Amino acid sequence: MSTRRRTLLKVIVLGDSGVGKTSLMNQYVHKKFSQQYKATIGADFVTKELQIDDKLVTLQIWDTAGQERFQSLGVAFYRGADCCVLVYDVNVMKSFDSLDNWHDEFLKQANPPDPKAFPFILLGNKIDIDGGNSRVVSEKKARDWCASRGNIPYFETSAKENIRVDDAFLCIAKAALANEREQDM
Amino acid sequence: MLEPETSSSPATEFPPVEPTNFDMIIVGTGLQESIIAAAASTAGKSVLHLDPNPFYGSHFSSLSPSDLSSFLRSSPPYCSPSLLSDEYDAIPLSARPLYSDVEISPEELENCRRFCLDVSGPRVLFCADSAIELMLKSGVSHYLEFKSVDASLIYEAESGNLSSVPDSRAAIFKDRSLGLTEKTQLMKFFKLVQEHLEEENEGLISEEDMESPFVEFLTKMRLPKKIKSIILYSIALADYDQENAETGEDLLKTKDGINRLALYHSSIGRFNAQSAMLYPMYGQGELPQAFCRRAAVKGCIYVLRMPVAALLAEKGTGLYKGVKLKSGQDLLSSQLVIDPRFVVPPSLALSRRGASQESSQDPIPAAVKGKVARGICITRLSLKSDASNLLIVFPPRSLCPEQATSVRVLQLSGNVAVCPPGMFVTHLSTLCHDASQGKRLLTAAIDALFRDTMPGNSETSCSENPEDTSASESDNMKVHSSALLWTALYIQEITEGSVQTISSGPSPDGNLSYNDLIDVTKKMFQQLYPGQEFFPEKASSEDPEDKNSDGGCRGDNSSEKNSDGGDGGSGSGSGNGNGNSVGVYPEYL
Repeated sequence: MSTRRRTLLKVIVLGDSGVGKTSLMNQYVHKKFSQQYKATIGADFVTKELQIDDKLVTLQIWDTAGQERFQSLGVAFYRGADCCVLVYDVNVMKSFDSLDNWHDEFLKQANPPDPKAFPFILLGNKIDIDGGNSRVVSEKKARDWCASRGNIPYFETSAKENIRVDDAFLCIAKAALANEREQDM
Repeated sequence: MLEPETSSSPATEFPPVEPTNFDMIIVGTGLQESIIAAAASTAGKSVLHLDPNPFYGSHFSSLSPSDLSSFLRSSPPYCSPSLLSDEYDAIPLSARPLYSDVEISPEELENCRRFCLDVSGPRVLFCADSAIELMLKSGVSHYLEFKSVDASLIYEAESGNLSSVPDSRAAIFKDRSLGLTEKTQLMKFFKLVQEHLEEENEGLISEEDMESPFVEFLTKMRLPKKIKSIILYSIALADYDQENAETGEDLLKTKDGINRLALYHSSIGRFNAQSAMLYPMYGQGELPQAFCRRAAVKGCIYVLRMPVAALLAEKGTGLYKGVKLKSGQDLLSSQLVIDPRFVVPPSLALSRRGASQESSQDPIPAAVKGKVARGICITRLSLKSDASNLLIVFPPRSLCPEQATSVRVLQLSGNVAVCPPGMFVTHLSTLCHDASQGKRLLTAAIDALFRDTMPGNSETSCSENPEDTSASESDNMKVHSSALLWTALYIQEITEGSVQTISSGPSPDGNLSYNDLIDVTKKMFQQLYPGQEFFPEKASSEDPEDKNSDGGCRGDNSSEKNSDGGDGGSGSGSGNGNGNSVGVYPEYL
């Protein structure tokens, strides 16, 4: 066991400004949520150790550091990603409409060897707001989008209430690990 | 409350930039501008960083062949002549061409997007140099991965061969081209330098010798011509012919030569690298991006694809106030830093608040210091079968009698992910007075490297009266010229920087390392913000105030990972090929 090397997996989180990317990462790693929103400053990447099956995995989750605000994420951000997490706000239609662009931008910039097989995951965040009454994107609509994009796994989350955040990131880690194994072969 | 809807997706229009007043606006994301952005943001300044291009890096970017072609040939950005502003005078910001004599053939190349070509190559990092120290100190080393340049070769005019540079004691020991006497001489010289540098032996080399030309010192040490050449051009990386220098300025002093030798030697073996030199995965364009990310993490706002249409000056006084974006928005700042390709109208450039006398007179553009000829070749065969990333130096006069400058060549392989596996990218450069002279030298070097092994095809020369360069049919040194798939040659102006209310860094220099650029950038920052520390030690990822950032963890994990000898998962993108990556992390011991 000790001779086996630790696997480092790079995960990047994409989506419009204000959908809760940083909050999801903070909830997952630090079990903390801050009510106060500010455009991301100070968020770089977080790491979390996980055991998946018999394998010790270090998940390295990269924040956009605010560079997504003016579509100015450089190609370096996308390099070597093992999984791409897309996030939208179920209460903001525009953030859902942008998913196509983020998805395509990722494939264009990261240029993975097999774009069709590259693991994406979609998170519909902020399901807690107003008890779900202010929701404008239905779960069905989101699931249809995922199906149309090659059956992307989908989670409805709340970073604030810590709803399904751990489940989502475990799924992300597994997908990233599977992708890495495939590339090793 | 949530921020008002300012989110955007890759295809929609830009929202307006907020806030509208900054401590500093920076135009252009070249390496110096990116370092300034990261340093100023780390010091708590509010910074807006713009670039008219859709990519980061400007003159330090790594581009596909087609993007490189359009970048080198791009005409100065368009400026609308009718920019009106009620409050300010709008003064157009014009640009000058930094690149000229661009020759690219063929124009089309298959799989173009899979190549990352450095605009200002060849350039490497020395494991112990100031660029590496800055990356460690600022925390940007977490964003980067490096590989070793695994061989250093020198071209020998007499034989037409490339031979290994015996750059360390181990390499001298293993060397097969040096005789026993030469080995002993070189070993003794390295030992002398090492002893001189040890504190208790200060003064081992006399003050007089330290101030004299390095070449004279080497002669005094009775080193043979071949060894002198190796030390001067492959280790001390002298630009000009040291034996027949045109002016005294081109001569390397002994103290500088010794310092360069010391840097080289302390670089060998650091970070478990196989050699003294490192190259960043995916190309030099990763370096400015890493500094920009650092800046963004510290609050800097990034807007690519956004040209500045005009500068705003206060009516009456003509003092710089801000910029007008192409989107029409006016943004104000106390300081402006611009890409070296821009020209500032003289009416604006002379107003630095509380400026000291000496710093207030330089115009932008500052004086042109010279030119560097650069070349890039894409090939299908390595210049040396057992090495993938390698440095080659053609010392002065080795290609032809007229050659007064070194020609440096860096071959990169798929293992640094700048090209598909099995392909190679070769960067060349030499300083020159005029374009045709520079290009003649590069062409001669390309011919010497890629010449057909066919007899009768050796009339290569960089002069009008060709020298006989009939080279021996040395085995794996020559690549069949049919393996040469693509070539670019161009001339770049070397300009100096200037610091005022509107400042500009220098354009890329002709050096192999980033050290001079880093030094100039540090000075620039200290002039812009006197008294502010240039990346305080605390600003590293270990910053305890940075609760959101776990960046520091990676250093530990990855150095563990590195000592396992593994390649980890982070570089698992396409085309990485084999070879261990070199993690550059602080040394804890």
